[in-house]
Amino acid sequence: MPLLINREVVADNWSLLNEESFAPEATLSSGDIIVPYALYLEHKARLAEHNGQIALQVNGDDDLTELQENLDQFPMIAIDFPIFRDGRGFSIARILVRAGYKGEIRATGDIGRDRLAYMERCGFTAIQVADDQFKPEMLDAFGEISNFYQSATDNIRAVYHQ
Amino acid sequence: MYQYNEVDQQLVNERVEQYRDQTRRYLAGELSEDDFLALRLMNGLYVQRHAPMLRVAGPYGMYNSTQLRKLAHIARTYDKGYAHFTTRTNIQFNWPKLEEVPDILAELASVQMHAIQTSGNCIRNTTTDQFAGVIEDEIEDPRPYCEIIRQWSSLHPEFAYLPRKFKIAVSASPTDRAATQVHDIGLHIVKNEAGEVGFEVLVGGGLGRTPVIGKQIRPFLAKEDLLSYLEAIVRVYNLNGRRDNKYKARIKILVQSMGIDQFRELVDAEWEQIRDTDLKLPSTEIDRVKTFFTPFEYDQTAKDDTTLEQKLVEDDAFRTWYERNTVNHKVTGYRITYISLKPYLKPAGDVTDQQLDLIADLADKYSFGEIRATHNQNLVLADVKNSELYAVWQILTDANLARPNIGTLTDMTVCPGGDFCALANAKTLGIADQINRKFEDMDYVHDLGDLKLNMSGCINACSHHHVGHIGILGVDKKGEDWYQITLGGDDGSNAALGKVMGKSVASDEVADTLQKVIEVYVENRFENERFIDTFQRIGMAPFKEYVYAPAN
Repeated sequence: MPLLINREVVADNWSLLNEESFAPEATLSSGDIIVPYALYLEHKARLAEHNGQIALQVNGDDDLTELQENLDQFPMIAIDFPIFRDGRGFSIARILVRAGYKGEIRATGDIGRDRLAYMERCGFTAIQVADDQFKPEMLDAFGEISNFYQSATDNIRAVYHQ
Repeated sequence: MYQYNEVDQQLVNERVEQYRDQTRRYLAGELSEDDFLALRLMNGLYVQRHAPMLRVAGPYGMYNSTQLRKLAHIARTYDKGYAHFTTRTNIQFNWPKLEEVPDILAELASVQMHAIQTSGNCIRNTTTDQFAGVIEDEIEDPRPYCEIIRQWSSLHPEFAYLPRKFKIAVSASPTDRAATQVHDIGLHIVKNEAGEVGFEVLVGGGLGRTPVIGKQIRPFLAKEDLLSYLEAIVRVYNLNGRRDNKYKARIKILVQSMGIDQFRELVDAEWEQIRDTDLKLPSTEIDRVKTFFTPFEYDQTAKDDTTLEQKLVEDDAFRTWYERNTVNHKVTGYRITYISLKPYLKPAGDVTDQQLDLIADLADKYSFGEIRATHNQNLVLADVKNSELYAVWQILTDANLARPNIGTLTDMTVCPGGDFCALANAKTLGIADQINRKFEDMDYVHDLGDLKLNMSGCINACSHHHVGHIGILGVDKKGEDWYQITLGGDDGSNAALGKVMGKSVASDEVADTLQKVIEVYVENRFENERFIDTFQRIGMAPFKEYVYAPAN
């Protein structure tokens, strides 16, 4: 799946695990892995043995109160957009940035072209686009609107402070 | 009125080009129907029963004459020669061609207009009092704050995919003319005990399937905290509002289910985090925006006019119109003047291209070039000199825009209904005609006085039937149109939701049923008592009893 960082397609070394990855008979894939938060909580002991980096994937249904205190443990937090209408991820990204999180904030899930610029403004530093949703011209979307009224997680000053 | 600077203009221009490219990709088959749907909704384009419908934003109801002429041009060139003013003080075109919409948006951008966020699950056009800045009882002009909210909410990157649409209304007078109690957020400009002006904040009001009166979340909010507090509310809503059922996704359901106190705790906790960030509104910015809304240079000699008195004595028709369709202006010698978009047997809120041009000319000649739209689908020329009212009335009369019915039974708020809207369960326009025929006698209608009648063609309640003194809701019964009648609603300072009178009536019985309701009122009213006050005094029972009495 194409991964966008700094408005360019880059190589992605992470693999996303799911419930099946944790089946009793399965061996956890090695290397850098993204683990959905619920599975992470469930399989903490097994993951302690893991050889490689561990990132978390969260979504709007997860209770993130506890996580916010341990953010620094994780090199990346992926925020999932299960369907495009679900806009909770935008707020979650801003809250992570506000909490001082310095790692990669990655968007995963249902991500169309029109949301790329909004995601960037809300603090996402990486955007993973599904193969069937990706087209190279998508990258043009970042620059379509160049003026903003409000400040967000980007460093743009709100129009009323200019 | 607010004037775009380079930032505003560049934003709408870029938005037009962005949408042009999206349309091109859709027509070339590169964008799926679903993907394009999300994009066109962000630009106010719905696909309706017969054709696409384009909704253009009228920020807090303000239009200027240049914009009206452009709207007339669009109606003529890209549509069927008319347009429709909505209860959100926006204007809709019912027959644009999908492939021409980018050109229409470019035309709009050339007069500082757009269709951004007029649909979709985002923060919609903020509305306010149509008398802002010209009414005596106002604490402060609400429009600068509406403009500040417009800018903050436009293309807000975090709030484009809320659980559901989100509407804000601002009122600045003890008399609420902006229906603030039935909005997702209602802001009341108030003065606290220290004499400072700020906002009382209501949250969780709304109509639709589950009508709710908004609850106070904060009695007083300082002006500098306006944006941080709004952002805190919307963030809490974005994270916690229901997303599993679109009928339970509005903020009113969230506030109801957790209770206003718990909701307030969440908002306050969030607000603590952000109130001292750059969301704090500098007084310099408030002052800058206020400069766009400074009072006009009114003619000091206007108060010396004596011709108006004379015309009022001489011409009964003029006097009737004057009494019903004009309102006291805060400057002596001027009147606030309604343009009725509720003519006899024509759809409520519709205007033709010629009428738009004519209203633009009137505004230029008699009212500083500005026009306001009201949430009851009429227009207002806010600053007409007493000495010129007669001329204005004559021109409006010739253009079928002077029906003296503002605030009366025939000043109905009516959605387009089943004739145009794909969501509607029943037709509304024919019923409005039926009511107009029944209540054609204007003397009778004037005698009935203030009476707010709202009719919606489905439970989505676009015409706010719950808050009509009399509300009519179209329902579908086995493929036939039936109409449920509610009484006792109010969207003013004493906001209330109407109660269902009884079983619904067939389409050919609506006007007759209304007649009976009115008879009960006339029978029971005290002198000068409005319908709604009589209803509150005597309750539903007498109405119900008389209307549903078995025929002898």
